[in-house]
Amino acid sequence: MNKPLKKMMTLLIIVAMVFTTVFSLVACKKDEQQGLDGHKHTWSEWTTEYDNSYKCSGGVSHRTCSICGTTQTKDVKPSHIKGDDGKCIYCGVVVYYTNSTYTAVSPSNWNELTYQDNNDTQIFYNLISSFFEFDYKFDEEGEIIPGAFEVEYSAATKLEDVTAQYADKYGYADGATGYAWKITLRNDLKWNDGTAIKAEDFVYTMKEQLNPLFRNYRADSFYNSGTVIHNAQGYAKQGLKVDETVSNLFSGIAEAKKAGYTDIYLDMNAVNAAFAEWFGGTYAQVKGAGMLDQYFTMYDENGQSLGQNFFAKYDLEKVSDKVEEQQILVTDEMIADYGKCKDWNPDPDVEVAMLSVIKNYVYPEVSFDDVGIFVGNNEYELVLCLDKAIPLLKEDGSLSYMAAYQLSSLPLVKKDLYEACKQAPVQGSTLWTSNYNSSVETTASWGPYMLTSFQSGKEYVLEKNPYWYGYTANLYEGQYQTDRIVCETIGEWETAWLKFQKGEIDGITIDVTIANDYKGSDQAYFTPTDFVSSFQLQSSEEALKNRESAGVNKTILTYTEFRKALSLGIDRAEFANSCTTSSLAGFGLYNSMHYYDVENGGAYRETDAAKQVLCNVYGIDVSKFASLDDAVDSITGYDLAQARELVNTAYDKAIADGKMKEGDKVVLVWGTAVDNESTRRTYEFVKNAWTNLMVGTKLEGKFELNFDASFGDNWANDFRSGAYDVCAGGWTGAAWDPGYFLLAYLSPDYMYSTAWDTSAQQMTFTMPVKQEDGTYKDTELTMSLMDWYNCLNGIAGSAYDWSANAVDQDTRLPLIAALEEQVLLAYYTLPMYNDYSASLISFKADYISYEYNTFMAYGGLRYMQYNYTDSQWAEFVSSQGGQLNYK
Amino acid sequence: MYMFKYIMKRLGLMLMTFLIIMIMCFVLIKLLPIVINVSIGQDADIIKAQIEARGYYDPIPVQFVNYIKRIFQGDFGIGVNMPEYRNQPVLDVFLEKLPPTILINIYSVLISVPVGLGLGILAALKKNKWQDHTISTAVMIVISVPSYVYAFLIQYLFCFELGWFPLTMNSGYDYFSPSMFLSMLPAVFSLSFGSIAGYARFTRAELTEVLTSEFMLLARTKGLTRSQATVRHALRNAMVPIFPMIIGEFISVLSGSLVIEKIFAIPGVGKLYLDSINTQDYDFFMMLSGFYTFVGLAAGIVIDISYGIIDPRIRMGAK
Repeated sequence: MNKPLKKMMTLLIIVAMVFTTVFSLVACKKDEQQGLDGHKHTWSEWTTEYDNSYKCSGGVSHRTCSICGTTQTKDVKPSHIKGDDGKCIYCGVVVYYTNSTYTAVSPSNWNELTYQDNNDTQIFYNLISSFFEFDYKFDEEGEIIPGAFEVEYSAATKLEDVTAQYADKYGYADGATGYAWKITLRNDLKWNDGTAIKAEDFVYTMKEQLNPLFRNYRADSFYNSGTVIHNAQGYAKQGLKVDETVSNLFSGIAEAKKAGYTDIYLDMNAVNAAFAEWFGGTYAQVKGAGMLDQYFTMYDENGQSLGQNFFAKYDLEKVSDKVEEQQILVTDEMIADYGKCKDWNPDPDVEVAMLSVIKNYVYPEVSFDDVGIFVGNNEYELVLCLDKAIPLLKEDGSLSYMAAYQLSSLPLVKKDLYEACKQAPVQGSTLWTSNYNSSVETTASWGPYMLTSFQSGKEYVLEKNPYWYGYTANLYEGQYQTDRIVCETIGEWETAWLKFQKGEIDGITIDVTIANDYKGSDQAYFTPTDFVSSFQLQSSEEALKNRESAGVNKTILTYTEFRKALSLGIDRAEFANSCTTSSLAGFGLYNSMHYYDVENGGAYRETDAAKQVLCNVYGIDVSKFASLDDAVDSITGYDLAQARELVNTAYDKAIADGKMKEGDKVVLVWGTAVDNESTRRTYEFVKNAWTNLMVGTKLEGKFELNFDASFGDNWANDFRSGAYDVCAGGWTGAAWDPGYFLLAYLSPDYMYSTAWDTSAQQMTFTMPVKQEDGTYKDTELTMSLMDWYNCLNGIAGSAYDWSANAVDQDTRLPLIAALEEQVLLAYYTLPMYNDYSASLISFKADYISYEYNTFMAYGGLRYMQYNYTDSQWAEFVSSQGGQLNYK
Repeated sequence: MYMFKYIMKRLGLMLMTFLIIMIMCFVLIKLLPIVINVSIGQDADIIKAQIEARGYYDPIPVQFVNYIKRIFQGDFGIGVNMPEYRNQPVLDVFLEKLPPTILINIYSVLISVPVGLGLGILAALKKNKWQDHTISTAVMIVISVPSYVYAFLIQYLFCFELGWFPLTMNSGYDYFSPSMFLSMLPAVFSLSFGSIAGYARFTRAELTEVLTSEFMLLARTKGLTRSQATVRHALRNAMVPIFPMIIGEFISVLSGSLVIEKIFAIPGVGKLYLDSINTQDYDFFMMLSGFYTFVGLAAGIVIDISYGIIDPRIRMGAK
């Protein structure tokens, strides 16, 4: 070989090596971004081999990236490696893992189309798969990154935004995105009998989900939720006669009339629904807050007030006491009058349509061909056309958290079985029903487990579905160790507790009766929830006054100082310790489970703005501490000295204002739904705390807190209507949208302190306001709390739009914090503890992590790792004398 | 002949009573306002449409006629509101759940009747002696304590500490297998304690009274031994009120025990009826009402007739 050729060959080899290296790295990066079911630098995607020291007793594993060749060594827990014959490839023992659990209420109807409660989901969550799902985020060492998450493809391999492709057919605007999605399914999806699953099966299922003959309980999941499939509502409700809001069907009154509808009425239900969206309250509440005049006063062409508001002229209340009969025919004059309400009528025809219904509207027939779900270009492509955009992909093309949150999957039934399970209407009924997924014979699975035994009210058994794609997918390598799930129905916790100690069930919640003995157990773990338990104080002065009698005062509760004193008079840590199993003292409306920026893992309570709120409310001078964190850590919410001063201040004010007489006794009623050990325990604690608070004050010996458990299930409404003075109540939900969650504390529809007029309470705050040139400028504004809320959530009709669609989350954060502070400073809601549930897990198995992850919890069955096979476990329990000590 | 006429008359009355009770049950449960639970964000139209399609808004007489027609077609309906039985045929659920309840109660009766009667007889015969005092004291203690307390004690002592029995009843349908029988025993014992005490106290009281009757003195003066007089005369007379009590026990056999079934995880019918009322599950309520009403009425007739068998002097329907 001559020299130049040799040089050229050498150069080519070097170029090839560099290219190969670069390509591999790019491939790694690209795949990680797209989240394909291929390579990623996560523990589950490495090819793993165990060295000779690994003999079921722990050792070392070597893992190699299948693409870039990177190798790493890692210590591993002792565990058997199950071979194809079901025996450990090292020691030969039969490897079979059973997860024994229990439920208080037996499931009965795990049909995805009709299920109604969590009892049913405990079975069907194991029978289904996800297109996209959350997963832990692992670092390069294979360790879980706390609080982080990834969204991965599972039953789907590709997701594409095809909005532009269907823009003409479905009327999407030019440049719109997020409306039409093409999901490419794996080609190895199968039912547990081996039948292949294709896109048409999802289309068939959706047709059955929306089948108007069945009126399925879950039909509205695809038009009354975040996922609004085009025409799903029309198909599901065809033939149904209802008073339908005009704006749900047409863009305005004129269009509805053009379509031939003349029975159009201004309707109290529609008004209430529209007002809830606009103002966060019902018509009566908005009227009560004096907002009708503010927004609906009519003006003439010269801008002079006509001295009457729209709703005074068209007073729905005069028609009938019955809300359903509160309807007035919509006329052209009415629409014209609505147009006279300035500042509130960009298009009166459109807005009146929101307040009006077409009486006895019959939903017309709709062909399923017009519903926005169909098979794409091949049998594995499923296309969804939505009426509401969802950002399922991030800008870089990877899956956003919304993919796993809003569209993790679609319902799926096995066609032949479902058809066989259909049951025609019985005598006197027109409703078709189905017993699909209500017994072993009528159940099909396309998830990791399948139902093999079911005895109503007693026990069900799930075993591995041999046809589940996950068992051969790299994504799940080494996961789903559980071979069998046995769930017994045990209504009595004490019975379950004895069984747990006998090793017969593998997990149990720690009841408060055993909390002191078992909270410190190595097997105990604590699960946070988004529930903040609070005390609510009566806000209605009128209601308080009405229940006063000679020598008995209640209206002292209207003084902020007194309410603050009650707040500072409770040792929250002691309260949580005495009255709950494992909850921790809480100080704000939100706890660690509330995320203001889900995509970036932004926990609200961890932000400086949220921390500052707590310091402000509990009077902590941050400058005296080394850091804001130290300042927050110092908060106890318990300051008896200050509280006693506040009691005296409130007392003096009440005397001066003539609301109280010297010698009057303050008697408050602690209301609750039931009289049981738990409610009594809470009441006794609070009574003692507040009685102690009054010692040394002008109310010493003149304070009583009485227990009343007569309110039953209506306790919350009774409190709102002023029937009693103090209750324990809080909110859960919307943990990933704290801005929206404020509704619970500001809207008359939800708040406990209904007499606190959040439409009148003003707040001055600086927020960026959009200028004419499109830029934002920080502007100090003064608005009512309700108006701030409306702007924060971009409610129609609000002056500004700081919703998540309009501004970034960091811009919204300070406003959320400011509103939280306002609610806390009103002292109608006194946060007491952040809810944690405590549980014990048996020695048999371990979760992958005991650090709670909002998206993955503890990894569930997917990542559960067993320390004993079934036979080893039986031997172990026997060796312990048949009883296990978890203390 | 008197007896036959009497039985036929009672059967006719029973049928009429049954129909009246069923109509009353149907009307009363339908008069309760229909509960519509609509969660936040749920489409109330669909929920209401479903209820309407089931015919629940039809006039009550129309609904009753439809219900009767369905019954004659052998269709007792499906569960609608009870979380544990949605979309499941009510008759199938009931028939599936009846065997464990019946077996446990029958085993209990089989234990408690002989033991209870035996203790009662012994206490009566040994009246005011240490045996009587011991039995009476034990009976008072047992009667004073609710059965679920024994259930917890038995479960803790025999199932948990000693490990003689499983903590809960076995799953499956092999009700006559030895292991299933063993798993039922803790519940059987828990049910038996109260019954044993009840029988013992009642038997003692009745027998004590009979033993002091003049005809017993006559029997002894005629030359009968004490045991002959007791068995042939006293016990037979004492059984007149006791025997119907035993038959009455069999009625409760079919209704189960809510608390005991819950503690031992027995898949029985214990809480079916109560839940069907609480959740307004019409088909379950009507079927269970019909069943228990029928059993109750039939048992009434059987008890009445049984008086004649125990005591030949009693002739039902005779003038």
